[in-house]
Amino acid sequence: MPEDWRNLLALILVFGPLSLFSIGGGASLLAEIEHQSVAVHHWTTQREFADLFAISRAAPGPGTMLSTLIGWKVAGAGGAVTATVALYLPSSLLVFGVSRLWGRWRGSVWHGAIERGLEPIAAGLVLAGGLAVLQAAGGAAVWAAAAAATGVLLRWPRLNPLILFGASGAMFAAAALFGWR
Amino acid sequence: MTDAPAGLAAIFAAFFWLGVTSFGGGTAAWLYRAIVQRRRWVDDQTYLAGVGLSRVMPGSAGVNLTVQVGQRLRGGWGALAAVVGLLSGPLFVVVGLAAGFARVAGSPVAHAFLDGVAGSAIGLTFATGLVLVPRGRSQVGQMLITIATVVAVGVLRWPMLPVILCLAPVGIGLALARRPGRG
Repeated sequence: MPEDWRNLLALILVFGPLSLFSIGGGASLLAEIEHQSVAVHHWTTQREFADLFAISRAAPGPGTMLSTLIGWKVAGAGGAVTATVALYLPSSLLVFGVSRLWGRWRGSVWHGAIERGLEPIAAGLVLAGGLAVLQAAGGAAVWAAAAAATGVLLRWPRLNPLILFGASGAMFAAAALFGWR
Repeated sequence: MTDAPAGLAAIFAAFFWLGVTSFGGGTAAWLYRAIVQRRRWVDDQTYLAGVGLSRVMPGSAGVNLTVQVGQRLRGGWGALAAVVGLLSGPLFVVVGLAAGFARVAGSPVAHAFLDGVAGSAIGLTFATGLVLVPRGRSQVGQMLITIATVVAVGVLRWPMLPVILCLAPVGIGLALARRPGRG
């Protein structure tokens, strides 16, 4: 089916290059993934994107599984695997190749400069990702929940986020159930 | 050397378990307990060198660290077994959750629940980002870089890659200029 192959190819072309630009981890890609999947490729609506983001954060794993879910939404099981591999393979191959050289490089001026030089950009990308999802999710209640959760997590950094997700979800569900909003 | 011989199946199993039990992105810490302390497959020094590299390289730090440990244990096949083990569990869980949600997606209550989860998950993202923001008087330049990144990517919604390519040399240049032991 040519349509299916086209979708898989599009997933590879989006997530493959992003793999090499996710400095500081998957969260830094959030804004760009939102842009690509909503505005550029129309894989999801803003609403669906916000839903997939929420689900991806509630699951275990080493980083964002958001690409997996977008792949699944676009092209089923094959899409889920394709998007996951596309996002993690290029960066993994790079680390694989570089790890031998890195040991020799330790202590050099560039080593620390690259580490510290990219930190402020990574921080900015993570915050930008939060803003992007917030714009996609919309709604004053979501903004309020995000602000409250930020405050709680800054105050109690060791709190298990799943507890917070569950409590916040339950409050929203109750509000919908009783027609408070 | 504490490197004990570990088979590919054992590597896969260990990292599979690590993948499904590491919530909230703390893979590096879980990996330390499971692989270094419990199984003694690599020593502390190897682990720490791996953590340093996994932070600078693009990609998830947890996945990058996993690649290096797998590589250390069994070369290319070891790295492959470790990464596939680490990612396959969460892949099934997350797709299962999404499929489960798709069945109840018509319900406004289910949508409201997910809105609530999304809101607090965005809060987690903000809290993570805010902790990383460089602060202090000596870090004004770094803070400006963070603000420029937020405005360009998060507010103006410019594409991320050119923004990184423009700001990375500035950030690295600043770090080079301020390295300890200079002027």
